[in-house]
Amino acid sequence: MKNILVILPLILPIISAVAISSSKIIKDKYLKLFVAAVVFLNFAFIVNANIFSDLEIIHVITVNEFLDIYFHIDQLGKLFSYMAGFLWILTSFYSFEYMKHEGKERRYYVFFILTFAMIMGISYSGNLFTLYIYYELLTLSTFPLVIHADSKEALQSGKKYIIYSFVGATFIIFGMMILFSISGNMNFIGGGIKGIGEYSDKTLLLISFLSMFLGFGVKAAMVPFHSWLPAAMVAPTPVSALLHAVAVVKSGIFALTRMTYYIYGPMLIKELNGDDYLIPLVIATIVMGSIIALHQDHLKKRLAYSTISQLGYIILGILMLNPNGLAGALMHMINHAFIKITLFFVVGSITYMTGKKYIHEINGLGKHMNKSFIAFFIASVSLVGIPPTNGFVSKWMLGLGAMEANQVLYIVILLFSAFLTAAYLFPVVIAGFFRRGDDEKEGDRKELDPPRLMMVPIIMLSVIIILLGLFPNLVINFIDVIIVDVF
Amino acid sequence: MSRIIELFPFITILLLLIFGAFLTPLIKKKSSIVRTNIAINIITMMMNLVTLVYVNNYGTFIFKFGHYGSPFGIIFHIGPVEVAIAMMFSFVITMVSWYSFYSIEKEIEEKRVGFYYILNSLLLASLLGIVYTYDVFNGYVFLELSTLAACGIIIVKDKKENIKAAIKYLMLSTLGSGLVLMGIAFIYSISGHLSMEYIHEAIVASSLAKENLLLISIVLFSIGLGIKSAMFPMHVWLPDAHTTAPSPSSAILSGLVIKAPVIFLIKIYYVVYGFEFVNSSRILQLMLIFGGTGMIMGSLFARRQKYLKRLIAYSSVAQMGYIFFGIGLGNELGLIMAIYHILAHGLTKSSLFLSAGSFIEQTGFKKIEDFKGIGKEMPVTLGIFTLSALSLIGIPVLPGFISKWNLALASIDSGMIYLLIVILLSSLLNAVYYFPIIINGYFGEDNLDGKVFKSKSKPIKELIPVILLTLAMIAIGFMSGPVIEFIRSGIYM
Amino acid sequence: MLMVQNSYIEVGAIILFGIGFMILLLNNNMIKKIIGMNIMDTSIFLLFISIGYIHGKEAPIIVDGEINAMGYVNPIPSGLMLTGIVVAVSVTGLMLALTIKLYEKYGTIELDEIMNMRSD
Repeated sequence: MKNILVILPLILPIISAVAISSSKIIKDKYLKLFVAAVVFLNFAFIVNANIFSDLEIIHVITVNEFLDIYFHIDQLGKLFSYMAGFLWILTSFYSFEYMKHEGKERRYYVFFILTFAMIMGISYSGNLFTLYIYYELLTLSTFPLVIHADSKEALQSGKKYIIYSFVGATFIIFGMMILFSISGNMNFIGGGIKGIGEYSDKTLLLISFLSMFLGFGVKAAMVPFHSWLPAAMVAPTPVSALLHAVAVVKSGIFALTRMTYYIYGPMLIKELNGDDYLIPLVIATIVMGSIIALHQDHLKKRLAYSTISQLGYIILGILMLNPNGLAGALMHMINHAFIKITLFFVVGSITYMTGKKYIHEINGLGKHMNKSFIAFFIASVSLVGIPPTNGFVSKWMLGLGAMEANQVLYIVILLFSAFLTAAYLFPVVIAGFFRRGDDEKEGDRKELDPPRLMMVPIIMLSVIIILLGLFPNLVINFIDVIIVDVF
Repeated sequence: MSRIIELFPFITILLLLIFGAFLTPLIKKKSSIVRTNIAINIITMMMNLVTLVYVNNYGTFIFKFGHYGSPFGIIFHIGPVEVAIAMMFSFVITMVSWYSFYSIEKEIEEKRVGFYYILNSLLLASLLGIVYTYDVFNGYVFLELSTLAACGIIIVKDKKENIKAAIKYLMLSTLGSGLVLMGIAFIYSISGHLSMEYIHEAIVASSLAKENLLLISIVLFSIGLGIKSAMFPMHVWLPDAHTTAPSPSSAILSGLVIKAPVIFLIKIYYVVYGFEFVNSSRILQLMLIFGGTGMIMGSLFARRQKYLKRLIAYSSVAQMGYIFFGIGLGNELGLIMAIYHILAHGLTKSSLFLSAGSFIEQTGFKKIEDFKGIGKEMPVTLGIFTLSALSLIGIPVLPGFISKWNLALASIDSGMIYLLIVILLSSLLNAVYYFPIIINGYFGEDNLDGKVFKSKSKPIKELIPVILLTLAMIAIGFMSGPVIEFIRSGIYM
Repeated sequence: MLMVQNSYIEVGAIILFGIGFMILLLNNNMIKKIIGMNIMDTSIFLLFISIGYIHGKEAPIIVDGEINAMGYVNPIPSGLMLTGIVVAVSVTGLMLALTIKLYEKYGTIELDEIMNMRSD
């Protein structure tokens, strides 16, 4: 009975998605109400599962030691599930308003809810194989969201997304095959699978680690596998916001953390020098993402490249292989999720209210969309890493990690990229507040802030960004448990 | 009671041959022919199920024809592998017959419908014979019978292309069986036996004195049976035959007919020659190379196809590559996975062909580009198609993934890690040609205009057999552990 | 050379097989192909029966009630080849029937002409 309660958050969205798909079961006018009920209920289930699970292990299907679908809720999983569950609620409210002008709402909500289940599966999975299954299902369930517009461009981007994902999956499975033949066991254990380090053929271990890291790196938009992310920005804004700044890319990050710290373990990777091969790619990710973002005129694309660069930070933190680095990475995973979703929501509001998509079009818009632009400003400040926002806290932790790893280079990179971040985000704010629109007269002020359903999530998120900056211990204490478990 | 169950394999073949193939043509009313044959198929399936349970509980048994044991008589060896394959064969044929009950009239002339069912029974009998037999010459006869029956279910459509494809198939197949017969002649000259076990004893006793002769004969067997089971360079007959045949026939041809010779080949390798000889000769490397190139080339060819059924046919070539690849690895896991893949692919490919057949039947289109937006008109059928395609692509838990995964482990076991690249590349290629069909089917918006939801969908009762096939496919994936253990208990090495 | 003399039947069978094989592959005419196929089959029958033949022994037909296994050639290959011939006959029959069908549909039995027809 208790088991069922624990896996409820995995099942409920699937059942609801099936129910939503039929217009007979859920009538059009109840659709949004139902979606809202599902996300709230599911969040309640998540809380319930996280609090009452007691590190429980739930075997769903155990065919043999390899084909073993099982769930195991640990601190890292809890962290991820709380984050996803909370952001899902906000996004669903935002979409209630936003999706009105995109059309095909029913299809959107079906896959929106279905993706929720996949994310829950990823966060609760107890072994690499289960994680991999949900990871692939995540690709399939988000694909319809990416091509929501069904235009030629959308299909093209969708194709790119799916090809990249499957190439990544191929890398993952290559690594997994080698790993499984070595260890015979892929359960997540803090600090790595026991006995895996004693295996004599280190090259083989290294190959499997690198291949899997690159494979999961595809979803985490690591260079050279990043170009699907900007392409996928053709999706509706809530999708871009939630899936491509939070859920999908963060599940990539989550999987990277899982495999680095719960399969191989930091000690083994240090021994293999596995990080040395990956750091150049990560640095390229950070710098290149920022630099390309500078040149983007399309608002969402600029944010997409910014995401790539920020994800680079997180991966760098993971690869520092020390407690502060990992803490910074996990902090930044959470913080970046909040920041980026705010930025996307604001951009979505601009497009929704005015139809403008490019930076050169938004001159003087800050006057009309006061609250939105203030929220954008707060999020930008946070992303650059200026106190008292949460972005500062995570970057500070990352800096500490870099010190601990004796790598001044990392700090230089972090600072340089923070400068670039400022350079590509503040012009948006400046254009909004201080530039005059082309065809505008003085004192002509329209109320263009979006409707309440969209505005409230944005305000809530901005408040959270500041609160997490002022009281970071909330998250840090949570993460400390993970750190202790892993190191 | 157990004595009676041990008669079941024999009874099923007798039933299919005598009642299905020889007596039903005497019936005048066409619908009775159809019904009788379907009934016989169902009975066969039930009996095979009983045999399966029996073998699972009491282990392997031998059926002796006329109570003459080998080497004088012909024997059937009914072990786990044989019953598993036989069960799959009879299940698929039953489902296909059920499916054709509703739709075959649309593809072939009405006066030939009776023939179609008769040929199906004949085909199943011969396939079961190949699977069960432990006598090389008996196997040869069944093999020829299956070729003729398979030819029959291609030409039953009676179009230009069918005749041409059937001639191509028959010609190459004759060549293949000629080679097999030659191989039998050589091996008989060495051993003086036809019973597989006794040939093996004789070969061991002669302590490989006539190694060259053995080598020639094993190559003859491999090439001969390779032609019949569409091993990569010898696959040229397959696309034509499987494309032009009526869709239910294609399902049988792709799912079963090319699988039976592989079972025969495995028996020849491990029962007749024995592991040591096969391993010391380089024949397995040959299999590995042919299988590996088949996996890649089959997919590459499939990618270029414009017609849906032709694409699926080429995908069969690639999938046969997996089976030969598994055999070629030369270790136990590889062989098990080859047999597992026979089961998995038989189920997957038949449901794939049947759903593709439904598309073609309902819309009248044949080209892939015409199937954009088909998901709106036929959502259930495309769902089935998607599941089967996902299995071939290798989405976890579906059987295609299980085969790939274990084949990879087997290649690591045998110390050839670079083979993983072949496996992964091939599954990536599978994704490249199956995904566009699925995506365009569901989301090909520009073609959706004017299409009505479920407008062309078949009634659900006509789809039940295909759904059952898909369910069986999923089940075999989820229960891969027990299935693999079951196969392992009867593996020949 | 001695080997060839000792086993001239086998050598002959293989040569026949080659001839049949080449006819089957290289000729475009269906009838010739079928003839080639039959030559090929016959060569295998020849090979098989030669295996069972023991020089100087009689056909295994019991005369005067005398049963002595040592006195006869091996009858099993001959028996097998009876089955083989049956198989070959049925395949030939089917092949000829298909040839007639082919002629009805295409108006020719030259395969190269039929292949060219596809282009139109």
